[in-house]
Amino acid sequence: MGGGVDLPQKESALLRGHEGAVLAVRFNGDGNYCLSCGKDRTLRLWNPHRGIHIKTYKAHGREVRDVHVTQDNAKLSSCGGDRQVYYWDVASGRVIRKFRGHDSEVNAVKFNEYGSVVVSAGYDRSVRAWDCRSNSTEPIQIIDTFTDSVMSVCLTKSEIIAGSVDGTLRTFDIRIGRELTDDLGHPVNCISLSNDGNCILASCLDSTIRLMDRSSGELLQEYQSHTCKSFKMDCCLTNNDAHVASGSEDGNIYFWDLVDASVVSKFRAHASVVTSVTYHPKDPCMITSSVDGTIRVWKT
Amino acid sequence: MTSDEEDFIYIGTPIGREEDTSARKIKSASDAGQIRALPAWKQEVRDEDGRRRFHGAFTGGFSAGYYNTAGSKEGWTPQTFTSSRKNRAEVKQQSLLNFLDEDEREEIGQHALETSSKFDTFGFTAADLSRKQAEKDIHKRPSVIPGPVSDELVLPAMNSFGVKLLGKMGWRHGHSINETRNSSLYDSRREARKAFLAFSGNEPKMEVDEFNSTKSESRSSTDEHDVTIDASQTTPVFVLNPKQDLYGLGYDPFKHAPEFRENKRLRGSSRNVIGPKTTAASRKENLFSSNSGKLAPGFGIGALEELDIEDEDIYESGFEIMETCIDEVEPLSKTEKNVKLLLRDKEHNTLSGFKRATNSEYKLERFPPPNIPLGFKSCHIFSTPLNSSIAYHGSPPPEVPSPDDTSHKILIDGFAALVSRCGKLFEDLSKEKNKGNPLFCFLYGGNGCDYYTRRLWEEQQKRVDQKMLMLDNTKSSPYDTQKMTAESRGRALGEKPLAKSSSSPISNVFSAELQRLQSNLSDNFKMPSSHIDFSEIGKPFEKEPAKQKRFEQFIKDKFQGGLRSTFSGGTSNWSENDRARERLDFEAVLEKIQKGNFNQAASVMQQTLTSPMITETQFVSAGTETIHPKIEEKLSTKVYPKREEFQWRPAPILCKRFDITDPFMGKPPAMPKPRSKMDSFMFTPDFIKGDKLEGNVSTTNTTDLKSNVTGDEPTTSEPVVEANDKAVHKPVDLYKAIFSDDSDDDGDGILKMQKNVPEKVEGANTTLNRLVAGDFLESLGKELGFDIPTSTPVHLPKSVAGTEREITPGENGKVLSDHVKLGSTSKLLSTTSEETGKQIDRNDARSVKPSGAEDAKWQKNGHSSHKTRNMSSTSHIELPNEYDHRSREHKTGKNKINETRHKSSRRKRSRKGHHGSNLSDSDSSEDTRFEERHSDIKTVKKWRTDSRTESFSNDDKYHDDSRFKSDKKSSREKHSKHHSHSSSRHRSKKSPDRKER
Repeated sequence: MGGGVDLPQKESALLRGHEGAVLAVRFNGDGNYCLSCGKDRTLRLWNPHRGIHIKTYKAHGREVRDVHVTQDNAKLSSCGGDRQVYYWDVASGRVIRKFRGHDSEVNAVKFNEYGSVVVSAGYDRSVRAWDCRSNSTEPIQIIDTFTDSVMSVCLTKSEIIAGSVDGTLRTFDIRIGRELTDDLGHPVNCISLSNDGNCILASCLDSTIRLMDRSSGELLQEYQSHTCKSFKMDCCLTNNDAHVASGSEDGNIYFWDLVDASVVSKFRAHASVVTSVTYHPKDPCMITSSVDGTIRVWKT
Repeated sequence: MTSDEEDFIYIGTPIGREEDTSARKIKSASDAGQIRALPAWKQEVRDEDGRRRFHGAFTGGFSAGYYNTAGSKEGWTPQTFTSSRKNRAEVKQQSLLNFLDEDEREEIGQHALETSSKFDTFGFTAADLSRKQAEKDIHKRPSVIPGPVSDELVLPAMNSFGVKLLGKMGWRHGHSINETRNSSLYDSRREARKAFLAFSGNEPKMEVDEFNSTKSESRSSTDEHDVTIDASQTTPVFVLNPKQDLYGLGYDPFKHAPEFRENKRLRGSSRNVIGPKTTAASRKENLFSSNSGKLAPGFGIGALEELDIEDEDIYESGFEIMETCIDEVEPLSKTEKNVKLLLRDKEHNTLSGFKRATNSEYKLERFPPPNIPLGFKSCHIFSTPLNSSIAYHGSPPPEVPSPDDTSHKILIDGFAALVSRCGKLFEDLSKEKNKGNPLFCFLYGGNGCDYYTRRLWEEQQKRVDQKMLMLDNTKSSPYDTQKMTAESRGRALGEKPLAKSSSSPISNVFSAELQRLQSNLSDNFKMPSSHIDFSEIGKPFEKEPAKQKRFEQFIKDKFQGGLRSTFSGGTSNWSENDRARERLDFEAVLEKIQKGNFNQAASVMQQTLTSPMITETQFVSAGTETIHPKIEEKLSTKVYPKREEFQWRPAPILCKRFDITDPFMGKPPAMPKPRSKMDSFMFTPDFIKGDKLEGNVSTTNTTDLKSNVTGDEPTTSEPVVEANDKAVHKPVDLYKAIFSDDSDDDGDGILKMQKNVPEKVEGANTTLNRLVAGDFLESLGKELGFDIPTSTPVHLPKSVAGTEREITPGENGKVLSDHVKLGSTSKLLSTTSEETGKQIDRNDARSVKPSGAEDAKWQKNGHSSHKTRNMSSTSHIELPNEYDHRSREHKTGKNKINETRHKSSRRKRSRKGHHGSNLSDSDSSEDTRFEERHSDIKTVKKWRTDSRTESFSNDDKYHDDSRFKSDKKSSREKHSKHHSHSSSRHRSKKSPDRKER
């Protein structure tokens, strides 16, 4: 286990409250709070550093699969099994808007930089963009070039990147008006942008995480030895882009060295599948969530 | 009113001063008594300050605040809110009281909770108070008994409120509360019931049933007593559901979580049955409980929406997370033994209340094994050996030529084979049987006896060989004795292994495919002699042990049949080039070795292999075969990650929201669907298909012509005509799809042309009708769009040819769609007289201009009256002006669209020019594609609707179409000549066009 001294391996807090599996946990923009969502149809807002549960957001009719918060922490968006994207007011805990249109479960949701557009990715093989500014609940853009369920979506200032089970990683550049399709050959489970935005991490269902160069579409590195075959699981890069972190279906957390793809650290974090991993934007702090219903905060 | 004030007359209400209020207050207080004495209409309502608040409906209604203005003399004091970045204002918790007036607040205050001695049921507080009071008083009054003792002895008695209430309801002390019924019968019943309930405390359901019955019973019986008794009302709840928990009375822990109640109940029941440990399985039995426990409340699921697979806990892989039930102290009601008993009952599937018998009446009958006689042998041995071949083995009979009679020969052959298989016994039997049969004389040394013995020997020899082989096989692979490979089966059946040497060397020479197939096969049927010993080969790469190893692996791979293991030669970091090179190296070395071997052991090989040349080719082919998956592998590794680029059009609003200028700003608003570039490759086969379709079109035309000839009545032939029209329309979509790819520059032109096609046709139809048929037909034509006079039709091929000639230069697509149009026109021609046919031809000639120029030019050069027309429309039959604007009415709008699109595409093109990169190629194709796609839908739709509304009043096009097709089937064949003729012409036409381009 040697090495990786700066990696968060000590459990600093255990956040309990979700009844049932926690499907995703996300830091907010500045890393002071985190949001979680799960099978119990609720979203929960936590202070992970103090281990406090702050608020519960209830309105979803089915499990909540993903959540994202705007940069100004004012609005939330969440999605899940009820085929809708919810747009929440953080403070009041009320649903401002529900975006209906996905034909099937919605797997992932993200705000754009200004919090004016919600982009959601669904099992219905589409990525949809929803306008938060206007009152319309119709999608302003539907991208349906995927041939299978879209698992994960990432946004940059001018791009929509989405990974799909059809094995592709598609980048939709709004500025140029072009779609770049990177076929990885394996179902993409989760994608995660590097902090510098030049690379993208794609967790594939063949238990391999692939690091892709975004500009050239080259495969830079592959990270293996964890298990990721059937669950929607997250992967992420550490705050300094030095390591790759991912959960495993056996409840372990793996850290790889970004460059030489060696497992730097591996420890058992949860009793069951680690569904989500999120890394603090600045500090070496990580939050993991699991099917066992717990959220754990890890620090160095 | 005092006497002083009587001298003055006051107008209006005097403004009261604040100082006055206190005085007024005193006054109001003093007046209170007076006012009450006044009659009702003279009384005034005043507030605590003595201000008059209600003035009556006619004198101002209510007054509020400060003289109906504000809360105070100063007015409202607004709430202040200051919040800065540094000093954030605290969120004030506002309550209801913040929004109330004082009087309202007071009102609320009246409802506030206060302690009151009135409800001091047991009088403790009151007693306390009185004692305190007494203590106070004790100092004041002297008592006989000194000290506080006497006061403690004497406590003021006070009945509680409840007691008072009961007393008012007629209750007396010492009586039970249920005193209304005195029926002794009822009492006895009640007692019995109580006893029953106490007896069967476990089944509340049964109780209820029992109760209902008793209720009705009691009803009937107590009716005469004239007492209304509702048994269910009189039965207290606690009897039905005896309290078993430690909560307070009436406390329901599941009040807000009813889903847990079920859970709890289940737990309780399962505990009773199985034991204290709740298993997941037992909980899972109840679908609702497990689900409802797991899912949080929320909206979104309708009442009719069922919980389906998605709602099931997919993560439930042995993890018990949900054990968050409210747990109470579990009363150990059952003894351990009892539980065990029940448990066992459950296991043995016996009914509750029954016990499993320890000794059953039923006994399984067992029979003793039969006695085996001493001399019994488990396997039968034939008296004569099945195979007596060994006897023949030693002395092969001399080879004898077969008898001349072929039938005889066949008989002998067959018989020999049979005997060899069935043994000597069979021969003896048949010998006996066929005594005197001249056919079987060979058995007795007659004709063909020698031949028979020879054949028999041969057959037996063969069998022995096979047997040996089989034995060999089984020996070599002791594990798969039962498994028969195709090879062994083939051997057993006496099949010859596939000939290695192909009899025709030509096939070896030219067909690589065949070679590969053959080598694949021959791998399976390889003779052992062709195996190559590694020792024989030697070590060509002795210097490099690693390479030698790889080489050996390579050879192994090569000479072992079955699936080729993917060659893992080289280290993983080798490039594909290196790997391929080494492979070639190995091939060459192996070939050399192979040749050497052949030279050495040519005599041995000659039996199995006809010539070394062929084996060489075989090896070569095998080599290519092994390389093939290599290449595929190479491809596959190269394939991922594979990057492709498409055009994608973000919605303008999306761009706006992302704060990005729309890259497609000013472009037509259609969404280009990024399609794979494979489309361009699809072109060639489509082109061929197009030709075919073309043929079809001409078929329809000619057949139509035919039908028109037969159908004399214009009215009767109407549906046919309609159908035909549709049939002509249909292929146009196809042409669009097929040909627009190929014409990059003229994509728009084609578009327009396609758009105009239907209207054109219709327009032409009407025009012609009017020209030719006169008033009668005109009236009909109005209704139908066109009609058919019974006259000799114009020859179709001629007209087609004529028009074709006129449209010399131009795009393929144009030519084709022209043809389509011609189909319809020719149909028209057929309907009209020869004369009109000529006229049309003339029209054609007039209208068709030398095309091939730019669109824009075309528009200028074309008919001045038809400036809105584009090339495509002008290239077809031009309508005379007077009839034209009729169709133009419909067209103008569309034409505008066309033009704008045209312009935009031109702009696009110019943009492309600026780009000047290799991107432009794909861009352009995509542009046109998108345009075409766009038009695909729109034109077809419009056109359909147009044609529907404009000229035809037909009902179902598709229906007609199908009818038409079936009608035409037979006639199509007749006119096949025409098609072939015209289509071939088309082809010849097209090719120069393509060259031009």
